[in-house]
Amino acid sequence: MTEKNITLKIKRQDTPSSSAYWQTFEVPNKPFANIISCLMEVQMSPTTVDGKTVHPVTWDSNCLEEVCGSCTMVINGRVRQACTALVDNLEKPITLEPMSKFPVVRDLQVNRERMFENLKKVKAWIEIDGSHDIGEGPIMPDQDRAKRYVMSECMTCGCCLEACPQFTLDNTFLGASTFNQVRLFNLHPTGEMRKEDRLNAVMGEGGIADCGNAQVCVEVCPKNIPLTESIADIGRQTTWQAIKNLFTK
Amino acid sequence: MMNRKKKIIIIGGGLAGLALAMKFCERNGEVTVVSYQSLKRSHSVCAQGGINAAIDAKNEGDTPEKHFYDTIKGGDFLAHQPLVRDMCYQAPAIIHLMDRMGVAFNRTGEGHLDFRRFGGTLYNRTAFAGATTGQQLVYALDEQVRRHVHDGAAKTLEWHEYLGAVLDSEGICRGAVIHDLRTDEIYALQADAVVLATGGPGQVYARSTNSVVNTGAAATTAYMQGAKYANGEFIQIHPTAIPGQDKLRLMSESARGEGGRIWVPRDANDRRDPKKIPESERYYFLEERYPLFKNLVPRDVASREIYDIVYNQNLGISGDPMVYLDLTHKSREFLDNRLGGILDIYTKFTGVDPRETPMKIFPAVHYSMGGLWTDYGPDNDGLIDHGSPRNQMTSIQGLFAAGEADYQYHGANRLGANSLLSCIYTGLMMARGIMNYTDSLEKSVEDIPSTVFDDTRAHWQNRFKDIKKMDGAENPHKLHHELGDIMLANVLIVRDNKSLEKAVHAINDIETRFLDVKCLDTHDWANPSPSFINQLYCMIHLSKIITKGALMRDEFRGSHYKPDFDMNQPKDFDPHEYIDYLEQKQYGEVSVKKFPADHLDYMKRFEANNEKWLKTTVAQYKDNQPEITYEEVNTSLVTPRPRKYD
Amino acid sequence: MAKPSKDEIHYLLLKLHSLTGLVPIGAFLVVHLCVNSLRTVGPWPYQLSIDAINNLPFLLIIEITFIYIPLLFHSVMGFYVMHHAKTNVHRYRYPRNGLYTLQRLSGAVVFVFLIYHLGTTVAPKLWEGKHHFEAAPFLIDILNGEFQTWQGILVYTIGIVSATFHFSNGLWGFCVSWGILIGENAQRNGAIVFATIGLALTVLGMATVLEFNMNPVPVEATVAR
Repeated sequence: MTEKNITLKIKRQDTPSSSAYWQTFEVPNKPFANIISCLMEVQMSPTTVDGKTVHPVTWDSNCLEEVCGSCTMVINGRVRQACTALVDNLEKPITLEPMSKFPVVRDLQVNRERMFENLKKVKAWIEIDGSHDIGEGPIMPDQDRAKRYVMSECMTCGCCLEACPQFTLDNTFLGASTFNQVRLFNLHPTGEMRKEDRLNAVMGEGGIADCGNAQVCVEVCPKNIPLTESIADIGRQTTWQAIKNLFTK
Repeated sequence: MMNRKKKIIIIGGGLAGLALAMKFCERNGEVTVVSYQSLKRSHSVCAQGGINAAIDAKNEGDTPEKHFYDTIKGGDFLAHQPLVRDMCYQAPAIIHLMDRMGVAFNRTGEGHLDFRRFGGTLYNRTAFAGATTGQQLVYALDEQVRRHVHDGAAKTLEWHEYLGAVLDSEGICRGAVIHDLRTDEIYALQADAVVLATGGPGQVYARSTNSVVNTGAAATTAYMQGAKYANGEFIQIHPTAIPGQDKLRLMSESARGEGGRIWVPRDANDRRDPKKIPESERYYFLEERYPLFKNLVPRDVASREIYDIVYNQNLGISGDPMVYLDLTHKSREFLDNRLGGILDIYTKFTGVDPRETPMKIFPAVHYSMGGLWTDYGPDNDGLIDHGSPRNQMTSIQGLFAAGEADYQYHGANRLGANSLLSCIYTGLMMARGIMNYTDSLEKSVEDIPSTVFDDTRAHWQNRFKDIKKMDGAENPHKLHHELGDIMLANVLIVRDNKSLEKAVHAINDIETRFLDVKCLDTHDWANPSPSFINQLYCMIHLSKIITKGALMRDEFRGSHYKPDFDMNQPKDFDPHEYIDYLEQKQYGEVSVKKFPADHLDYMKRFEANNEKWLKTTVAQYKDNQPEITYEEVNTSLVTPRPRKYD
Repeated sequence: MAKPSKDEIHYLLLKLHSLTGLVPIGAFLVVHLCVNSLRTVGPWPYQLSIDAINNLPFLLIIEITFIYIPLLFHSVMGFYVMHHAKTNVHRYRYPRNGLYTLQRLSGAVVFVFLIYHLGTTVAPKLWEGKHHFEAAPFLIDILNGEFQTWQGILVYTIGIVSATFHFSNGLWGFCVSWGILIGENAQRNGAIVFATIGLALTVLGMATVLEFNMNPVPVEATVAR
């Protein structure tokens, strides 16, 4: 613990259409402080370093243990979860910005609806007959399960998309998280039955072929999901699907 | 009988809400899920260790009946037995269902579901997906609901907040008032039934293992609208959490289920690196004190023991309120496969790798066994009639509660890995009953005059207008933390009436100061300030329910520990003696010779105490205070008896 | 086959973009660099191969079909792809992200270089009607002159390095996009292999340039003539 106080430079925006502005706050440094606890301090005394009392900064957060995916923001220029961003490990002063690849709602809050819509586009679910009791699920090797488990830890936080040069505010690129979901469900014995639907859904504009292999997604993923492996695997699956479509459709 | 689809509003997108949404859609109903955030982000994702079902995959002789008994005993016999029994009998089917949905449950070498041990049982009964089982279960249900949204059967209102129920002139719930957290619009929605699946109230304590949204506001609003709130004082303190500034992060019980050991140095002044302390100088106090269940005693027991070690024996590590949770004797590969998620969390927040160095942990507020009072419809076999409209209905007709927001399944203390089960179970089980309830209504929601909806909407609009005008001197967030400090200091693991009385007064002070709160932000776009002030108001009232319930309950039961009323079970006592004792009593006088005198004395006191206190606490909102009464508990299936885990 | 949808066309075009980079363009690049490298063996072998190529029947049609159209397509698609992305290597400094940016940059550089390269070789050849055996002396004269100035050497060095980089890195991208290299290790090993190929091609190209520079042998009539 070196500094007594921490300086936060926060990019703020009141409404989606208004322009952004910066404000600087100073909060006391406490042991094990993270960005969320700093923002909570701002809430408790929302006064800038110039002594101006302002409305508190708004941000998204929920679980505070990196499992819900809410609190993604750009911290010191890099996208990550705010809850696991421990102040001690960050360069000072700390800058906080909302993600730039999603429409800003307010301050550090953004609208990630696009990610959830994409889950619908690729039918990211298992088509079970119903929730009634029809006995056990399919037997599968634990290695396959382990592979799926890592992929299914994706919390739709958006880090991979924010850091992706191919993903922009105005295009329709589906992005790493969505391709990972396609692979996740295609790997399940029941999910595999609707494999073709999912593959065809990622073979259009904004689909898998738009990926430029910059591979930043895998570097910034807070859950260490092998996103580039998923992308390449979906690349293979779609290639075969395309050949199949070409000759059988 | 209506010729349109039945429509319900589900508040909350956690396990209970999503399970119900899925089931109701399958039954051709129309569902609107209201969620404070995007779906997939609810607090259910924080559940780590697993979900219980007596599938007996390891051939240990486990049965749903044993699961039922463990749960009832774990809850110190305060839960209604037919419900718990039904839940335990449904559990295997629920696990298989979740498995079919694609939950990545860990598997055995042969590819079957794997199970691990958890607290309060001697069987491997807990199915798990790594150490993020809650997250995996939420995702699976979310995917099914998303599928129904895609097909047009369900609708979601994300970034919306429930403010209150719309009650007609007969007091029947006919809809809900919803607050759009982005546009700030407040409006009333019509429905045949409203379900509160809004989770627990951990934020009342400000720092807990709970998520930010767990304010308990929705349940408290229902209470203030006339619904009964039950067993509020039973708050589970999880024995193992990672201390932190903004939150106390959970370290799952599965760490102990997979072999984790809790210890402190025998010598309080031992400041050596934990790995340099030899076995003989370590005090594995749970293992020594509970040779049968060892580190896997129920949570209330473990938390009390840790509290005792730290505050009574002064054996906390380096004098701090912490003990070691040690996994370093297990291989890295084993730990990564079965506990990876939670060990990574520990590393991220403390910078220490628990695979190499024992973790430092301390108990933290975790779960509320209490919640909205709900009803149930038992059948003749000691189980539940799933078609009964009474199932999960609060004391307000047409308003239902499910998941942690209700009170029925865990008695005075919840066993680990039973919460995920109770959430999914209630969600699935209640769908048919709600269908039948809507059929039984004499008047349909369309017959209700629109003024009923307009008036309730106007009430909430005015309320928020008034909140925005609040311009006092108190910062609501600071006040919230002060409330939390009061609760943490006085209504935690060890309780005594003096502190509780102090807390009651302190909460009343907070309530007075609340009137002087300042609304920090008066914008009408994406402004969380007015909502938070409303939630704070609810939390103040909820803290009153918890504190008053605790103050009035003069006994020691489960998580509610008052040392003044500890009956001091004799060391060599066997709970079966109590069954013999009751039997003898039934056939006349108890022979004094048959039992040691201290045992007999204990049993008599135990019986008298149960007579008085084996009751559900019911709080009702009267003159701005909770009015506490007590109701009988259904103990028709197993005889309540003293708990023992050593 | 039913009429393809907009999405199907999009996918097909991108796949073709990727494929044309490999064949025929990549293949041509390899052949081109190899043939030119004959210059390092001696003026005669080199001139013979130029003669051989320029005596191919329907040369122009072959070139248009297998080189110029694919090249134009690959370029247009390349610019289209670039238009839809926003590089961020200044923020996320990872090797692969740097290569992603360089791939786009090198593509644009090669495009400009090719305009220059074709404009100073093929275009005058066609303009002045130097076909068959007349082509080689004409072209070699031009090149001999080109490599005597440092500007010429610089332009060709940039062009060759950009092209071999774009090709070898593109080859890696092709293998990932088409799902040939999937696992992390496979991708890393693939990258090593393709980097080696790229380096070899660069050496080949640069050796040729150096040979031209140090040994500008004037062309004489061929044996056949």
